[in-house]
Amino acid sequence: MLRGFMTILVKELKELVRDPKILIGMIVLPLVILPVMGLVLGYAAETAQEEAQKATLLVLNNDGGNWSETFISYISASLNVAVLNDITPQEVVSQDVLTKYNSTQFVEIPSGFSQNMSQHVDGGEFAITATIKVYGVFQGGGIFSNIGSSSFNIFVNGFNRAIAPDVVYTSQSTIIKGEIQEGIDPATLSGLLLSQSIALPITLMIMLTYSMQIAATSVAMEKEEKTLETLLTVPVDRFSILMGKLSSTIIVAGVAAVTVMVGYNYMLGSITLGLETAGPIDLVELGLVPSPIGYALLGISLFVTLLSALALAVIISAFSEDVRGAQALVGYLYPIVFIPALVLIYLDVNTLPQAVKAILYAIPYSHPIIASKVIVLGEYTTVILGIIYVTIFTIVIMYIASRLFATEKILTAKLKFGRRSKKKAE
Amino acid sequence: MGFAVEAKALVKQFGNIRALNGLIFQIKQGEIFGLIGPNGAGKTTTLRIISTLIVPTSGNVEVFNLDSVKQAAQVRKIISYLPEEAGAYPNLSGNEYLEFMAKFNTKSKNELHETIKEAAKISGLEERLRDKTKTYSKGMKRRLLVARALMTRPKLAVLDEPASGLDVLHAYHVREIIKTYVKHHGVTVLLSSHNMLEVEYLCDRIALIDKGKIVVEGKADDLKKKYQSENLEEVFAKVVGYA
Repeated sequence: MLRGFMTILVKELKELVRDPKILIGMIVLPLVILPVMGLVLGYAAETAQEEAQKATLLVLNNDGGNWSETFISYISASLNVAVLNDITPQEVVSQDVLTKYNSTQFVEIPSGFSQNMSQHVDGGEFAITATIKVYGVFQGGGIFSNIGSSSFNIFVNGFNRAIAPDVVYTSQSTIIKGEIQEGIDPATLSGLLLSQSIALPITLMIMLTYSMQIAATSVAMEKEEKTLETLLTVPVDRFSILMGKLSSTIIVAGVAAVTVMVGYNYMLGSITLGLETAGPIDLVELGLVPSPIGYALLGISLFVTLLSALALAVIISAFSEDVRGAQALVGYLYPIVFIPALVLIYLDVNTLPQAVKAILYAIPYSHPIIASKVIVLGEYTTVILGIIYVTIFTIVIMYIASRLFATEKILTAKLKFGRRSKKKAE
Repeated sequence: MGFAVEAKALVKQFGNIRALNGLIFQIKQGEIFGLIGPNGAGKTTTLRIISTLIVPTSGNVEVFNLDSVKQAAQVRKIISYLPEEAGAYPNLSGNEYLEFMAKFNTKSKNELHETIKEAAKISGLEERLRDKTKTYSKGMKRRLLVARALMTRPKLAVLDEPASGLDVLHAYHVREIIKTYVKHHGVTVLLSSHNMLEVEYLCDRIALIDKGKIVVEGKADDLKKKYQSENLEEVFAKVVGYA
């Protein structure tokens, strides 16, 4: 009944195994990306925890009573504590005291803390509770950033268990761009902005892979349809042919960048609206929505990055004989598109070791993602430097492409994997 | 009057393969010159060098006294090249394809219009020129491409296997186009072919090429007499020592 089945199966397997696209998509990518993801996640969680433990916790003791001393002694057993007296939270922020202690959060024991504690613990007036104010600097970054502010609650809960249930409560506030936003928990804010730190990298991954596939076909299609040879013998400058092809991809890149910006803006707007119904947090009021300059820089960053990817795809397609081959070759670039996007979803680039940081900055496709994270904090220098780097990268790529088009290599260059290239004598 | 094409000791090396090995020949202005030989003899490589697509490893070619490497841009203005496996853009109509290609060689709208009209006449495709080229048969596509190659009235038309793979009627049409067009407009033609009958019918002179060298050159009738052969196939077999 299944005569010939094995023959067909063996032939199909041979074809599949020998197809570079299958090899990349189903074997190489999972083998590279999943272990890298594991390392990244492990490293991210570890770094966040270590930093939270290592950091000096500033305590503003504006109470001065016995109970505040007891509390400080309790947390000093586990944390590296520095106590300051007679200073307001606003002064800590405006005098940049946190930088001196290399810290990103502080707590204030407000006046009346000890009195409330005494009334609750000694006087039995259980309705009266004491509050400790926690202030954390909003860092943007990845999923595991801003983990420190929530970890402080563990010590407060421990203190309650030792003294009396539910006697001390915390009130969380966030420091955004040097301003204290009372009542906003940095961890909650990070959670709310999670979609922002995931959406753009994923959108960019999809956009880059799609547009690179399209660009790769531009030269490969000419080769496959056998139109390139004719085109190269007409009286037209070779550079014009290249620029004509690249310009069409520039238009595609421009439209794609605008589309992403519109979608991104709508997405941030949706988050703000959602929050308005849930509570008093408004990203616009907090200054966590990019300014028009921020949007413009992000748009430019997206545009030049797309352009560099498309130019690279055009060059690579010149080394293949047909569309299928070009798409397979472009597939080899996917790891350098996927890895920075996935890494930057989880991590703040500033917390990475220098070598990893250098690799991420060297990959042009990291820059729009980094830009999307820092523009909300108004750090435009990083974005502008990124744009300059990617532009130089693109110019170099385009120069190489123009050299390739000027010679017979555009017809004779071939990249083959697994076997030596053969050139036709006729 | 100088030569239309003068190839001087052409050598082309692709890695370890020597595709051309000191090739020498001349084509007179206004003649149809045929380059014939087996697969891998170096025909396409020769045509590609003359058409400025690739550069020789050594030696040089002059096209109407212009060097194909140093003056490639000027050479491209006076030649027209039809590759053996040329295609057209599948999503353009025949008319759009002709217009696209004609724009590179014309300077005014009027000239463009006349050139396209000429191409339509040469191709004989009439109403089908409005259809996308992906709907064309192989023969129709080749007629379109031959029309494209000749419509600009180049000084030199380089045609690689102009009628290969076509059925009898399409092949006949293509050969008639070449023959009549050259007579009327004085275009010099260099063509390569496997088809000895085609070469005998079309060409004023022929050169037999083998292993990257011209082995014999002359008029078809003279060669047949010289080698006491019935046809050019026999001449070729005798020249290369096969018969």
